[in-house]
Amino acid sequence: MSLHSWFIALGHSSLGHAMQTSKWDFALVEMVHLLALALLGGSVLVVDLRLLGIVLKGESARLIGRDLSRVLIGSLIVMILTGIALLSEEAGKCYFSPAFRWKMALLVAAVLFYFTLHRRALLHTDFGVPNLWSRAAAVVSLTLWLGIGIAGRAIGLL
Amino acid sequence: MPLLQHLCQLLNDSSFGTMIRESDYAYSVIESVHVLAITLVFGTIAILDLRMLGLVLRPIAVTRVARAVFPLTWSGFAISFISGFLLFWAESAKMYTNPSFRVKLILLALVGLNPLIFHTTIYRRVHEWEIQHVTPWRARAAAIASLTLWSGIIIAGRAIAYF
Repeated sequence: MSLHSWFIALGHSSLGHAMQTSKWDFALVEMVHLLALALLGGSVLVVDLRLLGIVLKGESARLIGRDLSRVLIGSLIVMILTGIALLSEEAGKCYFSPAFRWKMALLVAAVLFYFTLHRRALLHTDFGVPNLWSRAAAVVSLTLWLGIGIAGRAIGLL
Repeated sequence: MPLLQHLCQLLNDSSFGTMIRESDYAYSVIESVHVLAITLVFGTIAILDLRMLGLVLRPIAVTRVARAVFPLTWSGFAISFISGFLLFWAESAKMYTNPSFRVKLILLALVGLNPLIFHTTIYRRVHEWEIQHVTPWRARAAAIASLTLWSGIIIAGRAIAYF
């Protein structure tokens, strides 16, 4: 089955049907998506500002990264689940949307980066002053996550 | 027509309000900035609330977390207030009667009251409990109130579009 037919199938599923026909079902899912977005955004920001040496200097970057990753990963899971529901409302259309494709590409990049190089930067920095690589990791992370948000907003506008 | 509604109508019909409303992109751009700024407010204050509940960053003192997040939360609040006012300016006649907008304003007033009570009571003695992993119940109550109210504000804000 091609990727496109999966999107079509999602659009024709009972979930898609509920999202397309009930205004408040869609609204509710959208609200949860937004709440999780805020929690994710806050934790990304605080972790990356620590990596940049701007906030919580002298506190363990490892600890901050680990603790806030619970918030981050929890909200990410909620966002992916509610995102699938939101997608089902017009899955066929989103498949061809450049904004949606950008969002997914950036999401994959952000998640891969988060679990690899970003994690290494946190472990490496720990209590210390971040080096240039750690700072670069923070900037890349902030750019990727912000990019996902901007592309996501653009889906509804373009 | 009540005075407040009359004022809303005037604002709505002003040239600036009309400009935002009728521009091809102004409203969407301001709205995007508004959402981003609210993310900043809720996302950062939530970290302090979660610390006060003893769920994250336990080894770090509450006051250190507060000092780290407050500038971010306040910047977010200032940006969301200004962008929110611009959005209101463009749609003020509709907003006057929008039930969800009214709920949002009430919740905003309450969320302002919360730190006011918190700072004049239990936070005054913060140095006695700032390094405790689990904070006094009044601090935890304030954290839960903050998380609930801000969630409510985001939910009511999103619902404005559905009325």
